[in-house]
Amino acid sequence: MTEAEKVFTDVPCTFCGCLCDDIEVEVNDGKIVGIKNGCAICKSRFLKHHENRLEHPSIMKDGEQSSVSLDEAVSKAVEIIASARRLLIYGLSSTENDAHREAYKIAELAGGVVDNTSSVCHGPTILGVQESGEAAGALAEVRNRADLVIYWGSNPLAAHPRHISRYTRVAGEYIKDPKKDRKIWLVDIRKSETARTVDKFIKLQPGTDLEVISSLRALLRGHRLAVDEVGGIPVSELQEAVDAMKNAKYGILFFGLGLTQSKGRFRNIDAAVRLIQDLNSYTKWNMMPMRGHYNVSGANKTSTWQTGYPYAVDFARGYPRYQPGEYTAVDLLARGEVDAMLNIAADPAAHFPKACLKTLSQIPIINIDPKENMTSRLATVNIPVAVAGIECDGAAVRMDGLPLYLHKIIDPPEGVLPDRDVLGMIYKKLEKEVKK
Amino acid sequence: MSRVGVKVTLTSGRTLLQGRTLEEGKLTDAYRDAVSYVELDGATLDALGIEPGSLVEVETIYGSVVVTAKKSRGEEPGIAFMPCGPYANTVTSDDTQETGMPSFKSIEAQVFKADASTISDIEKFVGGNP
Repeated sequence: MTEAEKVFTDVPCTFCGCLCDDIEVEVNDGKIVGIKNGCAICKSRFLKHHENRLEHPSIMKDGEQSSVSLDEAVSKAVEIIASARRLLIYGLSSTENDAHREAYKIAELAGGVVDNTSSVCHGPTILGVQESGEAAGALAEVRNRADLVIYWGSNPLAAHPRHISRYTRVAGEYIKDPKKDRKIWLVDIRKSETARTVDKFIKLQPGTDLEVISSLRALLRGHRLAVDEVGGIPVSELQEAVDAMKNAKYGILFFGLGLTQSKGRFRNIDAAVRLIQDLNSYTKWNMMPMRGHYNVSGANKTSTWQTGYPYAVDFARGYPRYQPGEYTAVDLLARGEVDAMLNIAADPAAHFPKACLKTLSQIPIINIDPKENMTSRLATVNIPVAVAGIECDGAAVRMDGLPLYLHKIIDPPEGVLPDRDVLGMIYKKLEKEVKK
Repeated sequence: MSRVGVKVTLTSGRTLLQGRTLEEGKLTDAYRDAVSYVELDGATLDALGIEPGSLVEVETIYGSVVVTAKKSRGEEPGIAFMPCGPYANTVTSDDTQETGMPSFKSIEAQVFKADASTISDIEKFVGGNP
């Protein structure tokens, strides 16, 4: 293999919420030819970023996508937005922060709803935190201090492949031997890949998370339970777990969609926050959501900075209102309440329940994405954009809240702009349209 | 003849292959193969009289879909797992219980040996009429 012309170091990987920022990217002749340190998904993201791209801006005519200029596509997008009575702007979690700003400006100007993908991942986490408070801490703190790590309803080996090797099964300042000095548990309804790598697997019955967490709290407070088992787990085992959690020097609860998407949803998180609060009466505990998209955490933050709310924001009255369940994308689409959609860096046609697809197939969609996907097949307007973190720079937020600068490694295809520039063009043109 | 089905709790989630292939492209055969299966335990496969690789129909009150059966490594009777994506979403619920979050996990389902000779056509899902 020939030596790379240029090697970029400390590049953040823009796939999952770990935002691993130790990637080495080898570039030859303007193409990415090698990746070091990345997981299997990272390699696929960088080495195959040029495959299956949306090649041109296009507009659907007579059931076929026909290529148009960028200006024409932007004009069509503005026409759709300006004539919409109930616009939904959705996505944002797989693009960088500056693009978010432009999306919020469009939402305000158009009087639309802006929601991000957290409504179908850790939205319930935010609701739980709003009920009971937010625990916060850095991943580096976990690596250096945590002697008890619990993954709950999460399968990091599949969704965050380097989370364990970078933060939990690795030596830190006060954890000299990560196998001896630190214990890792998994609580889940099935023996996933991750179950085979942890020190202890606790299997619970589906939909019993709230009962189990509440029982742990009761045991921690010294109550006796009048049952032999909870969620299929013997009370004696729960008591052992509580004792270990109480005796840890620094504990961390990483939780995934097994908690947020299951029965109870935000009540599961509410209970987990309170368990962590209770544990802090005895020792140091923290908790952290395993954020999926690389910048879904950023989408919540930028939305909060700009609109006051983390997701599900409606500008119909000219000022932002917040109501998950009302202004969240799945609810709006399943109820058929929206008449146009601006989709940015997401694929709702692939990831939303069937009831939403009916509305998606009936309304005009403006789809802004680097690649072809199921939503691009439906879209009235497709506008290809640069891949953030590979073809343009920007900023994104890691799962623990740390903002990281994304690098531009190579040029995007000719004529292809970053999301922020395309959204800025739409905003400027819409502004003129609205003033008419 | 009445169909013989097995009741399961269906859950959906991420897999490494689903992540890798979605980065290649959502319209690729590799992505379709990575998301169009259900993992079942050996006892369920035996009850249905099928081998891994056979087609099964997963049915819930929200819909049904024909996918490939795989044997789960965990061997957990009663649990069926599908990778998240368009196939799983055909049988999951849009009920968010006023939270914004649909029911992607812990859904009551039945699994049958499929009458169809191929997995469900992904193209039809996009039109909203699978």
